[in-house]
Amino acid sequence: MPLGYFSLILHAHLPFVRHPEYPEFLEEDWLFEAITEVYLPLVHIFQSLHEAGARPRLAMNVSPPLCEMLADKMLEERYTRHLENLISLAKKELNRTDREGIEFYDVARMYVENLAASLHLWNDRYKRNLINAFRELQEEGVLEIITCGATHGFLPLVSTPESRRAQIEVAVNNYKKHFDRHPRGIWLPECAYEPGIEDLLKDAGIEYFVSDTHAILYGDPRPRYGVHAPVICPNGTAVFARDVDTSQQVWSAEIGYPGNDLYREFYRDIGWDAPIEYLKPHLHEDGARRHLGLKYHRITGKNVPQQLKEPYIPDLAREKAAENAMHFIGERIKQAHTLRETFDGHPPLVVSPYDAELFGHWWYEGPQFIDFFFRKLHWDQSEIEAITPGDFLDSGLPIQIQQPTASSWGENGYYKVWLNEDNSWMYPYQHDAERRMTELANEFAVPDPATSNAALDREVTTRILNQLARELLLAQSSDWAFQIYQGTTVQYSSNRFRSHIHRFDLLAKMLEGRKPSFAPEQLELLTEIESRDNIFPEIDYRVYCSPNLP
Amino acid sequence: MSEFDSKKSQFDADPIFFDPDDVISSGEFLRTPETAVSDILELTKSAGIDEPAEDGVSPVFKELSSIELPRLQKENRARLQMQTPTRLFFYWSVKDNPFQTLRRAFGDTGSYTLVAKLVDLTHDMETIFPIEAEGTWWFDVDSDRQYRAEIGFYAPNRPFVRVMFSNTVATPRKRPSQRTATSADWKVTARTFAQVLDVSGFKQDAFEVAMVGDRPQEQAQTFKAFAKLVEREDSDFSGIASAELRYALLLLASGISIERLRYRVDASLFALLMACASKLNVENAAAALKEHFGVEADEISEEEDASAAVFGASLVNFPRRLKRKPALSGYNPVSSFVDR
Repeated sequence: MPLGYFSLILHAHLPFVRHPEYPEFLEEDWLFEAITEVYLPLVHIFQSLHEAGARPRLAMNVSPPLCEMLADKMLEERYTRHLENLISLAKKELNRTDREGIEFYDVARMYVENLAASLHLWNDRYKRNLINAFRELQEEGVLEIITCGATHGFLPLVSTPESRRAQIEVAVNNYKKHFDRHPRGIWLPECAYEPGIEDLLKDAGIEYFVSDTHAILYGDPRPRYGVHAPVICPNGTAVFARDVDTSQQVWSAEIGYPGNDLYREFYRDIGWDAPIEYLKPHLHEDGARRHLGLKYHRITGKNVPQQLKEPYIPDLAREKAAENAMHFIGERIKQAHTLRETFDGHPPLVVSPYDAELFGHWWYEGPQFIDFFFRKLHWDQSEIEAITPGDFLDSGLPIQIQQPTASSWGENGYYKVWLNEDNSWMYPYQHDAERRMTELANEFAVPDPATSNAALDREVTTRILNQLARELLLAQSSDWAFQIYQGTTVQYSSNRFRSHIHRFDLLAKMLEGRKPSFAPEQLELLTEIESRDNIFPEIDYRVYCSPNLP
Repeated sequence: MSEFDSKKSQFDADPIFFDPDDVISSGEFLRTPETAVSDILELTKSAGIDEPAEDGVSPVFKELSSIELPRLQKENRARLQMQTPTRLFFYWSVKDNPFQTLRRAFGDTGSYTLVAKLVDLTHDMETIFPIEAEGTWWFDVDSDRQYRAEIGFYAPNRPFVRVMFSNTVATPRKRPSQRTATSADWKVTARTFAQVLDVSGFKQDAFEVAMVGDRPQEQAQTFKAFAKLVEREDSDFSGIASAELRYALLLLASGISIERLRYRVDASLFALLMACASKLNVENAAAALKEHFGVEADEISEEEDASAAVFGASLVNFPRRLKRKPALSGYNPVSSFVDR
């Protein structure tokens, strides 16, 4: 038995952003940047570690909206175009830096090489299908892929039991579609929990969920091993809570590794530095500046103004990533000794969940850190063993029964980020849609010859109901309320929420009107909405029916 | 709101209710009224589907580019949501003219006012305030309680007439449970649990758990300390968690002003502190802690605001930290990241 266990959990999620109605769309770049900077590097590193025999082991949530976007043909084509465009800019940059900015030449070369490798992985190795890559890693025993809420809906702020259940069941069905098995665990969106949610999870066959620290520390009775062992809810669902030390070491803006002077500066981007004429072929049709992903400077120092940042030196940053990984492991060994002492010899489990997008997007060297971490963990020490929550449950170690408390991993630990003066206006609309969805599902699930609903075109009615479910799910994404609170992309987030509620209302009225047939304009509208918001083609609206429906 | 604050016992008569069919909970909204075919045609038309395209943009495209929120149908709504352990959000709307309903039931509306009532189900207390037929409200509340909101009619010396009620919300405990497991495998002493909290990064909670220890008399002692400080009776604190009182004492002794305790302590305690503000200061709070809990002034540390700033797009919660490591007798923090 090792001195202690360590469980890295990556939460890969982006809201569903797909705009076929426009030839290009700024917010689709969120996905494209994440594929280039996060998902491709991570998949490649995990595969390489596995092939090298380093036996990496971690849990990873690939959220249902992300799965759906990665499986979408239109986004796949747009991403390929995006990557090729970036490569042509990087090649242009290689010539430019050779001529007039030799201190940046190595960085430009790094981009050309990395992006060429990405294109190769994308086209040749993974055949433009990252879902297959994640599935392969799960089958090889590297990843334990867990699910999430269907659209990352903040469950405690969902008003009806049917809608909460739908967030879970749609997610589980989508997981099975993409990964050919049943998920063992779930990343509760925003780690938002309130007592009772575990019952929905148990009904869906989910064995465990991930929570924030105080869900367990403030749970009842007192947890003997704090957050350094899971607990089991009275209904049998296990809970794994976030360790604070490792969160701060990697994530804190104040003291976290990513703030090191040698690491790449995120906010200094060629999209804002280079002359607009030079960039024009690589920008969108509107010619507006935006982050393009080629960044040439290092952080340099905490209070150094952007214009005084020094050139990025890839080799030095890589060395620092290796050093940080070594330090991280050293700290885990020290932590395990301390915890074991406090726990009278019981082996501790340190659970470290992070947004996957931290690694590569925000912290450019993050994937290298993970690479070094698993190599050193396997070859340079034997005290800490990397496992997944599922492995821990299989280990047979006894687990305390406890009722966790309501919590989230957001600022201040509760629901303020998603419910406050700026975004509370959303909830009456969301809740009204939740109520109407179940009313309509109940009404149409069992056609009643005595009422007018039996006369409606069944096929179109089912399409409308399924699309209603999609619109409601998309409106429920916690991302919109989060971004409104945070003050980033407020307009887009607000518009997305409004448009899904608007579309829901248009569709609901088609049914609530109980017209015997549908007008061609209505069918056209339905078809157009289906083509735009095409998430979860497998959805069955009956997931919203009340449980006691005859 | 304050002028309507009242304990339930101060009402002169028990509440009466409308016919059960008229009492709506959030999970049992009234059904949507059926919309006539002509209405839907009109709605569709006004939404632009039947209108000719302008500027070559298809009507469907135009329709779907709308971000106009639909007008919410008139429904009875009463929804309560927890934001934090000490704050709730409430929104409501009343479908039909509520006074007509009242008139139907009583013949006249007399001195009745439409009110919202927040009911503390744990301690059987309530607060009422006048409202319009629809609106939103933020409530300051206490942690570790159950609440429900009601909409109804209030008049002095007359029965309360309830129109509808909301879902029930449980505010969570915002500190460790007082209870340890009964099974020998999981039982933990206060001292060991303080160490567990400490190594988990929850140093403020570790200090509090260590300060109280396993002493069963802590609650009485806390009430006594506080009563003496503000020159009140122990019974004035009934309903306030003793841990919450100690937490307030520690914060006050560390130099934090009473005003800054809003939302950091329960609403009922905050109101009490404000009422006793003239009797509270750093020195006497520290003296009370020393006298009743053996805490020396130099062991009392101010909490730092927890920084939620992280790299990337998230705002992740970190526990509050103590600026200095306390040296409470019997409390030996093992190690923790924040002190390294």
